[in-house]
Formats: sequence, C-alpha cells, structure tokens
Amino acid sequence: MAGTARMTAADVALERVTQVPGVRGSLLISATDGLVVAERLMDGIDGRAIAALAANLVLRLGRATVGAGLQSPRFVHLRGNAGSVLAAPGTDDLVLVALVGLDANLGLARLEMLDAVGRVS
Amino acid sequence: MTEDIRSLTARLAEEPSSLAFLELGEALRRRGQLDAAYKVARGGLGRYPALADAHDLMARILGDQGDLAGAFDAWVEALRFDPMRIGALKGIGFLYFRAGDVGAALDHLHRAAEIDPDDASIAQALARIRADAGAPAPAPGINGGPAPHALAPELSETPSTEKAEPGLMLVDSNGLRLKGSLRSPRNEEVGDRVAAELAGVSKEASRTSRLLGLGAWQSIAVESAEGNLYLVAPTPETLLLTVRDPALPMAQLGLIAERAAKEAREWLEQHG
Amino acid sequence: MRALEPWVLQPLQTFLTESSARLILLMTTSGQVIAQHGFSRSFEVMTAAALGSAIVASTEELARIMGSPRFGALVHGGNRQSCMLSAFGTPRGRWIGLVVFGPETSVGIVQLFFDQMVEALVSAAPREQPAPPVLAENFERELDTSLKELFGR
Repeated sequence: MAGTARMTAADVALERVTQVPGVRGSLLISATDGLVVAERLMDGIDGRAIAALAANLVLRLGRATVGAGLQSPRFVHLRGNAGSVLAAPGTDDLVLVALVGLDANLGLARLEMLDAVGRVS
Repeated sequence: MTEDIRSLTARLAEEPSSLAFLELGEALRRRGQLDAAYKVARGGLGRYPALADAHDLMARILGDQGDLAGAFDAWVEALRFDPMRIGALKGIGFLYFRAGDVGAALDHLHRAAEIDPDDASIAQALARIRADAGAPAPAPGINGGPAPHALAPELSETPSTEKAEPGLMLVDSNGLRLKGSLRSPRNEEVGDRVAAELAGVSKEASRTSRLLGLGAWQSIAVESAEGNLYLVAPTPETLLLTVRDPALPMAQLGLIAERAAKEAREWLEQHG
Repeated sequence: MRALEPWVLQPLQTFLTESSARLILLMTTSGQVIAQHGFSRSFEVMTAAALGSAIVASTEELARIMGSPRFGALVHGGNRQSCMLSAFGTPRGRWIGLVVFGPETSVGIVQLFFDQMVEALVSAAPREQPAPPVLAENFERELDTSLKELFGR
C-alpha cells in the first residue's frame, strides 16, 4: 500500500512538471541504475535514453560538487542549443528529470521540480 | 586651460614618445575633459601597450565615462603587466562591489591591502563592503535585468587567503588543472580533486545533449546548498568551472562565467 | 577485441566506447562465440559462452512456462561488477550478448548502448546465405578455429 501511494505521488509530481510551458517530458529515475521509475513523456521522447544519460551526468557532477567540499547538488541544468535537461536529485537515489525546449519557462520548471521532488522522496 | 595642462601639452607635442601623456591624461580627467583625456591615453597606449600605468589611466577615464566593462578590461590589463598595481586592484574591487559580487570584491581588496597595509582607503573600503555585505550596492541595469556589463573574475594564480572564498578554475580534458584554483568552504585546497572529477564531463555533456536532441551543449549549472557551480567549455578540450556563493543569482553567475570563458580562450591562444 | 566476422567490429567498438563496459561476449544461442573483448584466456570464453547460452535458454523456458513473452534482458547486480545477458535477433540468427560492467557505468547506459549496438549489427549484417549447420563431428574443429581467431593465434 505504501508502494502504491508512492507511485501516485510520483504521478502527481510528473503531471505538475509536464504542465509547465515548454516541458516535453518528465520522469522519475533511479540515479545509480539510470533506469526509469515513472514517466510522462510526449510522443517520440526516449525515456530510457534520458534516464540513462541524465543519471550518469548527475552522478558525475555530484562527485565534483562533493569533491569541492559542497553538499550534493539539489538542481542541475544542462543547456544545449536546442533545449535543456533539468534534474532535481531527491532522496532514496531518485532524481526528477525534465526535458525542455527553448521556449520553456525555466524558472517555473525549476520551482515545480524542487517542490515535486521533495514530495516523492 | 591651466598652466600644467598647457606645459604638458607642449612637452608631448615636442616629444610624442614621452611619458608626459600620463600626467596630461590624468590632469584632463580631473578637469572633467574626458574626451580629450581619452584621446591622450589612447595615443599613449598605442606607443606603450605594455605599460601598466597607461592601462590604469585608461581604466580611470573609462570609469568616469561610465564604461564600466571597458574600465574592468583596462584594469585587468594593468594587472597583467603589473600584478601588484594597487589602483587596479582597488578599481576592480569597486566594480565587483557595484555588481554585487562581494566575494570577488573582498578578494581584490585583500590583495591590495597585502601590498600596501598602510593605505587607509583600502581598509575603509573593506569595512564598508563587510558592513554592506547583506545589501550590496545596486548594479547598473538592475531594473532591466542582469547588469549589461557582466564582470568576470580574473583567473587568479594565487588562491585566496580568505576562508571559504569561491573560485575559478580552468581544467583540461584529462582532469588536470590549467589555471586557477578552488577552495572548499572549510578553506581546503580542492582544485586538483575537483579537476579530476570533471575529466570527461564535457564529453558526457556533449553526448547527453546530442543523443537527447538538444544540439551542442552550452553550459551546466549546478545548485547546492553551500555553493553554485557553473561549467562552460572555452574550447572543446577545456572546461571552465566558476563557483560562487548561492546568494549570487544563477543567471548572473552565468554571465560571469561566460565572460571568464572569453578570457580563458584568449589566455589559451597565447599559451597554447 | 576479436571477431570472427569483420562487420561485427565497428558496432562492438562503439558499444564498448559508449558504455564503458569491461567485458563483452557475443555468441549464438548454441554457445558458438562470434566476438569477444576483455577475456584473457580461451577457457574463460568457452565457459562463459556455455553458461551464458544455458542461462538464456533456461530463462526463455521459464518465460514460456509463465506464459509471458521472452525476457528482454537479465541483469545480475554485484557489489564490484554486474553482468547483463540479452538475446536478440539478427539476419544471421538469434545471438546472445554477455556484458560485464563495473560501477563506473550503469545498467541504464549499458542497456541503452547495447540496444544501439543490436540495431547496428542488424543493419551491418551481410544479407547472404546463412552458414550450414555445424555438425557434431566438425564442432570441435570449428570451435578450435574460432578460438584461435578470437585470440589472434
């Protein structure tokens, strides 16, 4: 029952994030394995690739951040020419990830993700 | 026209290669004749491009004209030729303070104080900045968004002696430091370790961005409770890390980092 | 890296580069080795191929008994190393990939690029008559030849 409640919280979190303008998909992933836990994606978006690649990058950046004597990252933003990947690491090895276009409201996406990841972790 | 300006002008006319342009430019600047001062300084720099005094003079003139980015660049040049130039350290420190980057302002003023501990103006500036640390002076353009002239910290060769000052570091693709340093909040030198951890990040970011259809990667911003990090690649083989206190807005950190990346590219071209 | 057929090399190299996997063995479902990287002794290759093909066969039988489709991949996670077994179709028949990887990568990355490797293999495989079935009397000679090829002797 606790597992079911947790998945429902995940769905709610993903729904809120994907409603932000410009967000093409959001997913909850396992950081160590790089696997999808839950997802809400537009057609044509490869959740598996996002999970694997985002997890890898977040872990690498986490090692660098901790190596600098800082606390683990709470938000990561990889910006490309044609869009961005946003990641909000939570607890229990979970990371909330969003794929956004150039037109995305990044500020709102960030706020929603930081709020949402706290609810699912 | 005052007597000193007249005589200095005559001297410069007789001997165009003389250093009289320094005094003349400063005299004109003090009188508010900034266009004339600028022309004199420009002429002098043309003859003496490696003279720190000339760059310092130009920086003061540009500062008076409101060209703060130009002033910053000129003071950076002055420091390049004379790393102990107090006027440049003070000027840059002031500009950082105006931009809201208290850490960098303190860093430069502390360096100036080490060179001349008896300079009362430096002590006063430090006291003022520390008192205002919670409410930095408004930066130009604050009503319209980010400051139009983003100031970039120089890539310091010497780690700050202050506790917990964030840093700027240039790293190659093998995880080795090229320039700059980094200290932890507990004032430990962590540059080499972080450089090693960053090896391959550029390649990883490039792969992630490409495979997810995001094009070429531009930057990575990382927020943590104790500090924000910003990564850009000045060249395909290097990575520039900028670390600042989380009180500095991430967008502003991005501007600082982009400016520093430009400087890094110029440095790499000179030393590559 | 060694392969019996040269068209396997490029997809395999790309997979290794992208996934950071430590070992890979490609084989047929009967355990005949197609390509390998990372193994140092032929004995290890033979053993791994035999065990890998047997595990896949057992798993597929288990899926059949359960009434479910074939499992896509089997992953065993270890403290220092993990391994993945995955069977896939090619124009040359059904093959199996055995991949061993460490904590420097992740199962997500390995699976992502393994799937890309499979697509590349399917695309690169020459469309010609399949080889005749290997007779038992020729098997040992074929295996010995394959092993020599795979270890460059």
